[in-house]
Amino acid sequence: MSSSSAVLTDDSTLSRLDRALLKLESSLNLVGGIVIFLLVLMAVWNVFGRKIFNAPVPGYVDWTEQLMALFAFLGLAYCQREGGHIRMDIVVSRLHGRILWFAEWISILFMLIVTTALVYGTWFHFQRSFDLNAPNFSRDSSIDISLPLWPAKLIVPVALAILWLRLVLQLWGYWRALRTGEDKPVAVPLPDDPMSQATREARTVSGREDDT
Amino acid sequence: TEWNVSLWGQRRAFTEHVHHLADAVAEATGGEFTMNISYGGLSDNRENLDGISIGAFEMAQFCAGYHRDKNPSITVLELPFLGVSTLEEEVAVSHAVYNHPATQADLGRWNARLLMTSPMPQYNLVGTGEPRDSLAEFEGMRVRATGGIGELMESVGAVPTSVTSSEAYNAMEGGVVDTVAFAQHAHLSFRTIDIADWWTENLNPGTVNCPIVVNTDAYDALPEDHRAALDAAVDGAIQHYLDNYAELLQRWDAVLEERGVERITIPDEELSSLAENAAPIHAAWIEQMSSQGLPAQELYDLVQTTLAEHRAGN
Amino acid sequence: MRALLDGVDIFTVSLWLSALLLVLVLIGVRVAFAAAFVGMLGLCIYFMQRQGFDRGLVTAIKLAGQVPHSKSTGYALSLIPTFILIGYLAYYAGLTRALFEAAKRWVGWLPGGLGVATVFATAGFAAVSGASVATSAVFARIAIPEMLKMNYDKAFAAGVVAAGGTLASLIPPSAILVIYAIIVEQSVGKLLLAGFIPGMVSALIYAGLVIGLAKTRKNLGPPVTGFTWGERFASLPGAIPILFVVFIIIFSIYYRGEDGAWATPTEAGALGAFVVLIMALWKGMKWGQLRSALMEAAKLTAMIFAMIWGVLIYVRFLGFAQLPDQFAAFISGLEMSPYLVLLMILGAYVILGMFMDAIGMLILTLPVTFPAIIALNGGPDVTREMSAFGMTSEECAIWFGIIVVKMAELCLITPPIGLNCFVVAGVAQDSKLPISVQDVFRGATPFFGADVATVAVLIAFPGIVLWLPSLV
Ligand code: NA
Ligand code: NA
Repeated sequence: MSSSSAVLTDDSTLSRLDRALLKLESSLNLVGGIVIFLLVLMAVWNVFGRKIFNAPVPGYVDWTEQLMALFAFLGLAYCQREGGHIRMDIVVSRLHGRILWFAEWISILFMLIVTTALVYGTWFHFQRSFDLNAPNFSRDSSIDISLPLWPAKLIVPVALAILWLRLVLQLWGYWRALRTGEDKPVAVPLPDDPMSQATREARTVSGREDDT
Repeated sequence: TEWNVSLWGQRRAFTEHVHHLADAVAEATGGEFTMNISYGGLSDNRENLDGISIGAFEMAQFCAGYHRDKNPSITVLELPFLGVSTLEEEVAVSHAVYNHPATQADLGRWNARLLMTSPMPQYNLVGTGEPRDSLAEFEGMRVRATGGIGELMESVGAVPTSVTSSEAYNAMEGGVVDTVAFAQHAHLSFRTIDIADWWTENLNPGTVNCPIVVNTDAYDALPEDHRAALDAAVDGAIQHYLDNYAELLQRWDAVLEERGVERITIPDEELSSLAENAAPIHAAWIEQMSSQGLPAQELYDLVQTTLAEHRAGN
Repeated sequence: MRALLDGVDIFTVSLWLSALLLVLVLIGVRVAFAAAFVGMLGLCIYFMQRQGFDRGLVTAIKLAGQVPHSKSTGYALSLIPTFILIGYLAYYAGLTRALFEAAKRWVGWLPGGLGVATVFATAGFAAVSGASVATSAVFARIAIPEMLKMNYDKAFAAGVVAAGGTLASLIPPSAILVIYAIIVEQSVGKLLLAGFIPGMVSALIYAGLVIGLAKTRKNLGPPVTGFTWGERFASLPGAIPILFVVFIIIFSIYYRGEDGAWATPTEAGALGAFVVLIMALWKGMKWGQLRSALMEAAKLTAMIFAMIWGVLIYVRFLGFAQLPDQFAAFISGLEMSPYLVLLMILGAYVILGMFMDAIGMLILTLPVTFPAIIALNGGPDVTREMSAFGMTSEECAIWFGIIVVKMAELCLITPPIGLNCFVVAGVAQDSKLPISVQDVFRGATPFFGADVATVAVLIAFPGIVLWLPSLV
């Protein structure tokens, strides 16, 4: 069930940067997946620990909430690279060539503006919870067992900064396509054309059958 | 002047003083100084101090225990077994601590100025099954209690079990926890009392401290008469809160009666052994806060002397 | 600049910005970011009016910067990735395919047979999955290719999967019912039980609709016939593990031993995921497949959480603009029949749901609509006899919860923002199937009608909702 990415590559600087960033993005996304898995294990430990040994995980809710920041944000840029964030393509799907690349460029620009602001905003949010002179550097802590919150809060601007890099690359990619007017630019998610979809259909579906 | 006020949940006994304050201020200024009270629309309850510090709204309520590292100074008021037994005493010790320069500096980091407290009665346990009327029976008891109260329960062999306050009802109903520690109004609003078999009326292990703060810049920028009206409205607001809570406590007695919830009285000698267990928690707090540069011993003594004075005064 | 901003009142601004949000979404800006952008812009305008340009800008940015962390780390939402992971693991354990195969052999002979089979298979899968989006994603991979192979209409094939996925939110376990229960502070266990029969009723209405469509539309797709009784019974053992997982989840919440229940409903979801994981490993799942499941679950989780915090930045702005308050004042000021008011609120949900995701919509509206409905019924302490809807306030909370969740689910299949339809189209594109978002919305349209009928049945016969929870 791996998602086959529709992002083309070549040996241009742009494409090399795209693949370098992808390595970082997909490892972070995998960490997010592993954290989801650990959360399941922790819940199982909490239930059996409580039931069998009368020893639940101390501060279980606090720990869960801290881990949530990891899986909520680590996949953010990867999802954008793979074109996974939800959108309406009712208009975009009817566009072609330069007009399409312009629409995509504008759309990324809006994302870049709000992401820039959010990198700042979430950084301030982290900063308010962090103090070099405090014990554990902590100026904000969880309700039950007083876990420092700054590590979880730091994840957010870091993840958004990586998304910011991804958006800059995509902005560059669409800009290049806009200038050259090419049909198949590299480093950006492409809408697949119906012909190649149809030819690959049978093979991918039967390939998936073998998975199960 | 128009101020935004950030509270959370729904209008309840715990927020009545804010409404009273808003009405009194509007009346005193002939409607020139008004307050928009919002329940959760402006901020999450754990972010209210952040909102004050960035100037998103002018007044807010929060509880010290939600984030002890944000406001270490006032956590002295949340130590277990402090000896506070009435809401009037809670008001007296809270305001004494709020007026201490170290506390004001602590909250000053958030650009926050302490206006008044929201006095909470001592937490007590409701439980299901056979009443646990001695500390020996607390052994192995799964209890929903956070922070210092959880620590104290652990010292007598109980098992603090982590569930959110909104899951408390389900957790107790299903037997995931045996007991839940809340103040009366929370036992009513989270409905843990509906499925309780018993209630400890005199365990009084501690409570949370929930001040109302204002943004310092906004306070300083108020016209002279508006600021005077705000300051003058505090005492009336607190009095209104106390009267209103007294009614709630009468309703509490009726609810206990109606649902056949047994009142458990823990014997005095057991309470004093629990107080002995609390002493090292107090000492650890003083040591830890002193190492952060807070005049912890002074704040702690301030609570004790204020309590003694308040009792002598009555 | 300030002079320009001073001229407009924030309520008008909030209406204009809502229109801007619609435009951004239509031109293809990713929804989460379009909402965050508009919310941020609204906060900037609000605070620039109050504090001047520079300070207002900083305040708005800092305020919006609180939302992503604080809204993504609420314990109740921790269920979402767990339920998504169950969906993907169940796929690798072969549970979903076995379920679909069994459904195909047993009900495939009906008109529109593969469609009916999809409805029943999604209903069965709903008993282990708590997220309708994940359910649609999983069945988009299994059911749509089979239907296309049999020459089913592609819009119909996609539509039935998008709609079938919504069953996961009524049939327990259900993430959104847990979120409802937590927002309105009601028993999670009772709400989950209450969803069971309405979920079944929904599935039957869907199945009836598919049969009706197959009889009236010639080119919808053929029934699948020719299975012997032997083949039918041979398909059952593969579906039994699902029943086992269902048993584990229900047992751990409702069984009371001497020492109480095993788990809270939140924990039971994780127990289910653990059991499915063991099954998948037992079926020979390899590290590469586990890795794919984790990657997909993490990607989908990041997408859903971005929707949540993006929409909530917009909602935070609405909070400052006091749009929810104005709505509450409006509703409680109405002097008309309570049922008419209820219908109007539900109508508002349909309109809101066009633009919002289900969880965002509940988080935004329930603080306003829930107290209004309880007041409409006669207040928190009302008796059945004195109440407007003939039920206690607790019953009213459960009843309204199921109706509202059904409404929120119905919005998952309406344009322009219908998460299930997007996900089906996304999976289809990922699998190189020639299905567009518009196809999915077109195919889901009849199911919208069926959902409206279901809601009408639930309003007319509250007993369907309230009978099961009354037993505990
Ligand atoms: Na479900
Ligand atoms: Na919709």
